Amino acid sequence: MAHDTEFHVHHDSPEAIGRRERLGVRLLIVADGAFLFGMIFSYFYLRNLNVNGGWLPKGVHSFSTASGWVAALGLIVAALAHRLGEYNKAARNLTAIVVLVALLIGGFYQWHQMAHMPFIAHDDAGRPFYNGAYASNWVLVAGANMFHYIVGAFVALGLLLRGYRVKLDPTLEEWRQRTAGSWFTWIAISGIVCALATSFK
Amino acid sequence: MTTLSHAPASSRPIPNPKKSLITKLNMGTGIVVGVIFCWGTYFAMKAGRDMTDSHNVNKVLLMSMFAWSIGFLIGIGAFIGPFRWLIGKDLTDEEQLYLAVDGQGWKRYFKYCTDHKVVGIQYLVGVMALLGVGGTMAMMIRTNLATPGSHFVTPVVYNSLVGLHGITMIVAMIIVATGPFGNYIMPIMIGAADMAFPRLNALSWWVLFTAVPVLCSAWFLGGIPTGWTAYAPLSDQAGPGMNAFVATIIIFAVSTAVAGMNITTTVVAMRAKGMKWNRVPIFVIGATISVALAIPAFPTFMVAMIQTGLDRTIATGFYDANVGGSGWLYANLFWIMGHPEVYVILIPGVAALMEIAPVFVRKPLFSYNAAIAGFAGIAGLSVLVWAHHMYMAGWMPSLNGPFMVTTEFISVPTGLLFLVLIGTLWRGRPWMKLPMLCVYAFIWNFLIGGITGIYLSDVPADNYLHGSMYVTAHFHYTLMGAALTGAIGGLAYWFPKMTGRMLNERGGYISFWFIQIGFNVLFLGMFIVGAEGQPRRVADYAHLYSHANLISTMGAYSVGIGMIILLWAIVHSWRSGKIAPMNPWGAKTLEWTVPYPVPLVNFDQPPVVTSDPYGYGRSAK
Repeated sequence: MAHDTEFHVHHDSPEAIGRRERLGVRLLIVADGAFLFGMIFSYFYLRNLNVNGGWLPKGVHSFSTASGWVAALGLIVAALAHRLGEYNKAARNLTAIVVLVALLIGGFYQWHQMAHMPFIAHDDAGRPFYNGAYASNWVLVAGANMFHYIVGAFVALGLLLRGYRVKLDPTLEEWRQRTAGSWFTWIAISGIVCALATSFK
Repeated sequence: MTTLSHAPASSRPIPNPKKSLITKLNMGTGIVVGVIFCWGTYFAMKAGRDMTDSHNVNKVLLMSMFAWSIGFLIGIGAFIGPFRWLIGKDLTDEEQLYLAVDGQGWKRYFKYCTDHKVVGIQYLVGVMALLGVGGTMAMMIRTNLATPGSHFVTPVVYNSLVGLHGITMIVAMIIVATGPFGNYIMPIMIGAADMAFPRLNALSWWVLFTAVPVLCSAWFLGGIPTGWTAYAPLSDQAGPGMNAFVATIIIFAVSTAVAGMNITTTVVAMRAKGMKWNRVPIFVIGATISVALAIPAFPTFMVAMIQTGLDRTIATGFYDANVGGSGWLYANLFWIMGHPEVYVILIPGVAALMEIAPVFVRKPLFSYNAAIAGFAGIAGLSVLVWAHHMYMAGWMPSLNGPFMVTTEFISVPTGLLFLVLIGTLWRGRPWMKLPMLCVYAFIWNFLIGGITGIYLSDVPADNYLHGSMYVTAHFHYTLMGAALTGAIGGLAYWFPKMTGRMLNERGGYISFWFIQIGFNVLFLGMFIVGAEGQPRRVADYAHLYSHANLISTMGAYSVGIGMIILLWAIVHSWRSGKIAPMNPWGAKTLEWTVPYPVPLVNFDQPPVVTSDPYGYGRSAK
């Protein structure tokens, strides 16, 4: 135990810690936003350049516009459910489950899409390759969505489990709900931007 | 965050949370788990794959490298905190004290230690090691270029040397000031007890640490033929060593994002009472602007590297024109990061010298606001100039004019930095210690680096000078002559606070003159051969350039000797140098108000700031 030693532990006020954590997460969102910018820049750059007609070569299938939005749906539902839980504490455990389930289902759908891509071709030696710049960009966008699903599910699971523990500081946990809200809102926005981008084939 | 306080060091028992896993983990366990993950992944992925297919080779190697990094972090205990958060059983006070590992001697430098001072020293030693490796490669490059037709190394090895020297030095220079001083000194300067996120602070260092063996592995995998810019599609087609480059950059970008977020949050949210923004030491402002610039800059490079990795492993075609890709995409993404990165390197070094100048001339910093405007102006404009690296690539010639204008505009905020330093020195009576010598060296070097940069920003002049040794000399004058000189000045200045001992003066002076004279001999000659047409990144050259190249190589050896003397001075002083008083320079910033060893939470009582840090020769306001 700490009091057995000559060390002491000072806990900063939950407000100070909460504000700090929220700022930190928002700065990470800036970094992730720059990553998103890089992806979207790549998508439209190669689309508009259409080098050798290779954006979406003739005969190559693409995903439907709707599938991009379906892939983002889990992120959007999770953000909305989390926001609902922030305002309605009584329903928080329920909304936390909804958030987690939405992210797991959405993540599974994204994985399923990635496992069944229609634009993989084979070269003369029988080796697979992604036929067209659209296909290449789609893989990157789907990967980013998947990353958001995984990190989001980790955060959601943490919040859910922590919601059942009584020894935690309620003020600090409240701040963490808000901080997580920033992250969930961001990944929903990111999902929407990706879906919007991939709507332009 | 939890902050820790302490009893006097002599009476401190080491906290020992006996049942906790964290007590059993250290760098050794990290390496063991990392190697197991690495080799496990390698053999598991290799099984059943056709390893004559380069995509499969790249896939196996790249995943093995990431497995090493993740395995090491697991082995050293980096994920214990997040896992405990996940299950709602946060680390106990005792465990957090243990992680701070105060009172555990040298072993704490090999653990997942959350004390910002330990992380600062880890960065310092890491930077010195990287500079040593990169510098050795520089010596090999210059040895090969000493005479035309030299066969000191083969052209293939020369190519790899140039690329690995470049990326090693870029990584080292990015962290050279913000790593050691941003972690050790900066929290004390602002009156904070620790960084905002101590565990993430340790994470940023150890993530970076895992990138080092990955980068070194490039040598054993055939090297990298692309130079540090790793232009596509050459990087798509390069051999297995390129995977090491890709993995290193991705890992490094994660480390940079975490460190940047941590430093920025600390400065914004944890300043001492009374430390208003106009009382924040200029080094802190510079370091914060630098890392805040890095936060959005590096992810675009990460995108470029992930795309390179995907092209190499699963045959996407981002940079393959056969399937709709374009090398220009890479060039854009790379330079959108690449130019801000120059200022990420430069600004902290300049800021350190601005911290030093007022102390050694006993005058207030001349126009604190102009200094901030200079840093902010440079940071803002730096994201609008990237295409000046692509004038000759043929990308959007119609934009060359606008990019020339934005690039030349950078001279204005850069001029403010000169104004601030010269204004501070003006009519001062300088105390000519090593840190102060670095201020003068910086002004000289950066003046040359800056003015030669104006020629390169000019499209017609760049048409001629592009790709020549002139460019190499220019950016070495800014990165080495300015930023590294700033960092050396910072080291000489803060060495007493970081080690408790004074840096050996004679060794410092001798090394300074060897380095500065050698540096100018090395690179001034390079301007001449560059202007005459000697291309960079080429292992051989025409006899026409032989004299200048020989002189440059002699300059390089002088720099090398100076660096060895500096290393000796550092090691010798650290081990047995003169004991430093608490405030050997009579400076007014907060780090000089704490004793050495700096207490675990830095201050016995939270400090209250009542004046600006540069009030020399005037009453406090």
